[in-house]
Amino acid sequence: MPTKWVLHWHPNPGSTVNSQILNEVSQCAEAINGVKDGRWKATLTLLKPNLRDQSQPGEYPRELLGISLPEQPNKYYFILRGPRIVTEADSSIQVIMEKLQSYKSRIALYFEGYQYQLGDFQLRVGKVVSSHSENLRGIVLEVEYLPISSMEKASQVLGEFVDIWQEAVLKRSLPGSFMHNEPNLSEYGLGDNYTPQHTAVQYAYVMAQLFASQSTQAVRN
Amino acid sequence: MECVVQGIIETQHVEALEILLQGLCGVHRERLRVHELCLKSGPNLGPVASEVRLLCDLEHSEPTWTVKHIGGAMRGAGADQISVLVRSMIESKASKNVLRLFYGLGYKLENELLRVGFAFHFQRGAQITVTVSSINKMLKLHATDEAVPVTPGIQLVEVTAPATPENYSEVVAAVSSFCEYLAPLLHLSKPGISTGVVPTAAAAAASLMSDGGGTTL
Repeated sequence: MPTKWVLHWHPNPGSTVNSQILNEVSQCAEAINGVKDGRWKATLTLLKPNLRDQSQPGEYPRELLGISLPEQPNKYYFILRGPRIVTEADSSIQVIMEKLQSYKSRIALYFEGYQYQLGDFQLRVGKVVSSHSENLRGIVLEVEYLPISSMEKASQVLGEFVDIWQEAVLKRSLPGSFMHNEPNLSEYGLGDNYTPQHTAVQYAYVMAQLFASQSTQAVRN
Repeated sequence: MECVVQGIIETQHVEALEILLQGLCGVHRERLRVHELCLKSGPNLGPVASEVRLLCDLEHSEPTWTVKHIGGAMRGAGADQISVLVRSMIESKASKNVLRLFYGLGYKLENELLRVGFAFHFQRGAQITVTVSSINKMLKLHATDEAVPVTPGIQLVEVTAPATPENYSEVVAAVSSFCEYLAPLLHLSKPGISTGVVPTAAAAAASLMSDGGGTTL
């Protein structure tokens, strides 16, 4: 299993993300000799408790996250951020959850774009759109180092690669930069050996960052 | 969805049933030791209360978990006429913290049991699974090592086969046909319609034990 960092676009104060930035970022991947290698898509669904009586919320989590990843098409991931739980299941778990009707989908975020091969690295650049509108909500970048599954061992090489990437982006004078703030994966019981559950938690973290920056933007406006 | 029938057999005749199944299926039995936890949604969660089963397979050195949802049975005149129950059933393998996830979602433990026995998986007009197991209850929470039989001396036999809305009639026919071979030892019927042990069981078992299952019943 390779090791992966998931980064997201952080616009400069006063600026917003747009499709021109997405185009420029995609060009960066090709400028550093990335070879385009097909499309990819990940989906993150935000589910809320389906309460019979809304006036009595009870002691239920405010949200449940469901995530599908392109590299594991037959699996599905659930995350409860409060108690820090990430669970992997077969994708049929989605049908079970629909039958139970205890949690209902409120919004889905689609992460989609192109992937690029660069020797031992794989890049995925994608836009983030929601099920509610076609508007661009963010840009995401996956940097995957294929030969090593130890997060600790891969950390330095991933960091060096991201530095090169940031320089390529900087040359284009775009109004923002990619951020990598790794969530505390050990809180979820995840170890040094990288698994798709690590990716799921990183996506949940990116989603939280996107929502947080957009609500800050809304307050400013 | 799945097709299912159940029956009971006295523990003293289980060895004979095993010999018969071995002869009929042509495959080796697999040992069965499953901790089954039935969870129910907390108050006010979902438009109606819901139930889900978490099965922990204890036969492996690293226990594996499965989430199982059993839905409603097929209804109507057609369903009444067949001797096999056809019901909605969905399973999903899950990582070992799935119980923590469901507790976190607001589900509560309704009951738990331990199934101990053996199973045969084979293809005979459908992908049929026969399980023969004793049902045990835990005197303390999750204490599977201290489980005691719910009905000492009696074991549960369950025949199941996965089906789809397109092929369920053929699967029902395959299951019904297979059940006929077991008739001298036990009677299988829809779950919840217990027909008890069959009077011919002792004689059939004696016959099987004496010739090792070589004679067709």
